[in-house]
Amino acid sequence: MAEQNHEQLTESQLKYLRMERTKEMRIQMISFGLMIFLTFIAFALVALEIDKNFVIPIVIGLAFLQVVLQFYYFMHMKDKGHEFAKLFILVGMYFAIAFVVCFIMIVWIGNPI
Amino acid sequence: MAQVKGKKAGFGAVLWDYLTTVDHKKIAIIYLVAGGFFFALGGIEAMLIRAQLAVPNNDFLSAGLFNEVITMHGTTMIFLAAMPLLFAFMNAVVPLQIGARDVAFPFLNSLGVWLFVFGGIFLNLSWFLGGAPDAGWTSYASLSIASPGHGIDFYAVGLQIAGAGTLISGINFVTTIITMRAPGMTYMRMPLFTWTTLVAAILIVFAFPPLTIGVFLLMFDRMFGSNFFIVEAGGNTIIWEHLFWIFGHPEVYVLILPAFGIFSEIFSTFSRKRLFGYSAMVFATVLIGFFGFMVWAHHMFTVGLGPTANAIFALATMAIAVPTGIKIFNWIATIWGGSIEFTTPMLYALAFIPSFVMGGVTGIMQAAAPADYQYHDSYFIVAHFHYVIVGGVVFALLAGLHFYWPIITGTMLSEKLGKIEMVIFFIGFHCTFLIQHWLGLWGMPRRVFTYLDGQGYNTANMISSIGAALMAIAVIILLINIIKTLVKNEKVGTDPWGDGRTLEWSLPIPTPYYNFANTPLIRGIDALALEKEEGDGTIPAAGPVEAIHMPNNSFIPFMISFGLFVAGFGALYFASGKPWAIDAVANLPEKPWALYVLIAGLAITFISMGVRSWKDDLGYYIPKEELEADLRELEARERGAK
Repeated sequence: MAEQNHEQLTESQLKYLRMERTKEMRIQMISFGLMIFLTFIAFALVALEIDKNFVIPIVIGLAFLQVVLQFYYFMHMKDKGHEFAKLFILVGMYFAIAFVVCFIMIVWIGNPI
Repeated sequence: MAQVKGKKAGFGAVLWDYLTTVDHKKIAIIYLVAGGFFFALGGIEAMLIRAQLAVPNNDFLSAGLFNEVITMHGTTMIFLAAMPLLFAFMNAVVPLQIGARDVAFPFLNSLGVWLFVFGGIFLNLSWFLGGAPDAGWTSYASLSIASPGHGIDFYAVGLQIAGAGTLISGINFVTTIITMRAPGMTYMRMPLFTWTTLVAAILIVFAFPPLTIGVFLLMFDRMFGSNFFIVEAGGNTIIWEHLFWIFGHPEVYVLILPAFGIFSEIFSTFSRKRLFGYSAMVFATVLIGFFGFMVWAHHMFTVGLGPTANAIFALATMAIAVPTGIKIFNWIATIWGGSIEFTTPMLYALAFIPSFVMGGVTGIMQAAAPADYQYHDSYFIVAHFHYVIVGGVVFALLAGLHFYWPIITGTMLSEKLGKIEMVIFFIGFHCTFLIQHWLGLWGMPRRVFTYLDGQGYNTANMISSIGAALMAIAVIILLINIIKTLVKNEKVGTDPWGDGRTLEWSLPIPTPYYNFANTPLIRGIDALALEKEEGDGTIPAAGPVEAIHMPNNSFIPFMISFGLFVAGFGALYFASGKPWAIDAVANLPEKPWALYVLIAGLAITFISMGVRSWKDDLGYYIPKEELEADLRELEARERGAK
């Protein structure tokens, strides 16, 4: 509870906190740079008019990487205390993908298998 | 703030208190009363069905009305009776079992209950407004798109509103159990009812979105001119079946898992033993929850998915029998060698084991896809799912009602009447549904309003109807029991069963509105039993008495739900008589006011949400002095009792 954290931090605690925050900021900046770079690659691939069959899977792969970076570094999934959120997201994704695959196989394509 | 203190609060004050409450114990009572009301409605519908089928060629109900009655019986029992009644027990017990002062989001808890109440009322108003839904509780799209009139619209909108409430409550319980456990209450020390509630709530979180989507597609097809399920416009009705059963199968585990939890508590309490194989029980619960998502197509074996798909789903379905079997054996081992006390809840629990196993065995029979082609759409299916839902869930609800009644109301139901009720209900249940297995195997189809004389169905149907009447008598006895107990109003003290093992029985009855004056410290599994054996029988405190932060009561959840209820009518009548509407409603008189009602309803909802968002409500503190005074008073009362 927020209202209970009123105690003064000691000198070394403060120093440790500063160090942690600097590290966090550095990670944020690096992942931000990386994401811009990934976006740039995707744009470049399209702009260079390389073969579609080659570009599409790569762009989807990059997009997936972006999502992972987003979740882990910007939305704090890498931090402690997010185990359940992580579990839920992964299980939810597993179910959702299973349902979509199922729908494609037995509803959309529609041939009995 | 509006804690009504003192006994002589007026009716208006009590009503206002319940309309605005965010206290989980009072919300449990709202769930119990509303769920009980809908249970009675669903029961009356069941009686009508059995009255119609008691004799051949009966014209007690017309064919159309029979369809409406079976649809409403199923929908009411699943969505408006079984689930809310389970939510009543979850609300009443789970926060106390984990040592929490309330659920994680008290406001959302209140919103959940009012959405359910308004959704249920909306659905049942269809009886008075031109006919109830008549496409079965599954409401398969090929039927429901063609169903004339507004019946199906009531189903879609009513379920959408009630379903939103259920989803909110599910999220609430997941968060509560994960984040609000008392110090020392590790995951592997949680009572089994808490565990099953957690898994059921997770299932709700994952299973309700597909239903919401399915019902949204149906709403848009019927009310706003889309073509998701309209085959001549390129739609596909199979999508509804998949979406419905992706929700529908986990839904039956949402019902049965908390029931398993209630029985686990009852078995260990009245065998005066620790639950046998606790960790295996937890593992089995989680596994059932996980498998529950992999088996939805076993409801659709005859749709024509193909042999490979059928085989996969058949195998996955049979796999569920393994963790369920683990549970059954663990319960038997819990009773084995225990010092058994035959109370009403224990009798229900003992009756549950063979009844549920019978339902499980027929389930395995149907899981064999080739055999299912024979059972499909026959009374065998009806017998199977009533064996698991009545023999499992309803037994648990009745057992739980007797077991947790002291916690909810502070009084004890009469054991004598309770045992009479249990015996009559048990006999009536088997009398009704056992014979239906044979009816199914003899070829009687389900959902058909009558049958001809001379087909050999007469005697069996009569027996079934007599059994149904016995179940009704048992429920009436329960009602008499409840009324007698409430009128007598003999208060009981802490741990009224004398053998309470978990944290909720350590609390004074009536439970104070802040639950725990001190945060409790949990030293092991079955916290209270541990303290009785090793300590002085009281739960140690984790810290000193401190001021407690409490949420304020709020009328906003009621208004948000009411807004959706109003908007529902607007949406429902929107397509009436419009040229683009589906055939089912295109010939009805146009309702020009529908759009304005829709807008007004949504406005009420969004303005209420805005008020909630922009007006800060920081709650209040219960001062330390009040808590200490309460503790002193409690101590004096206990000394007086000795």
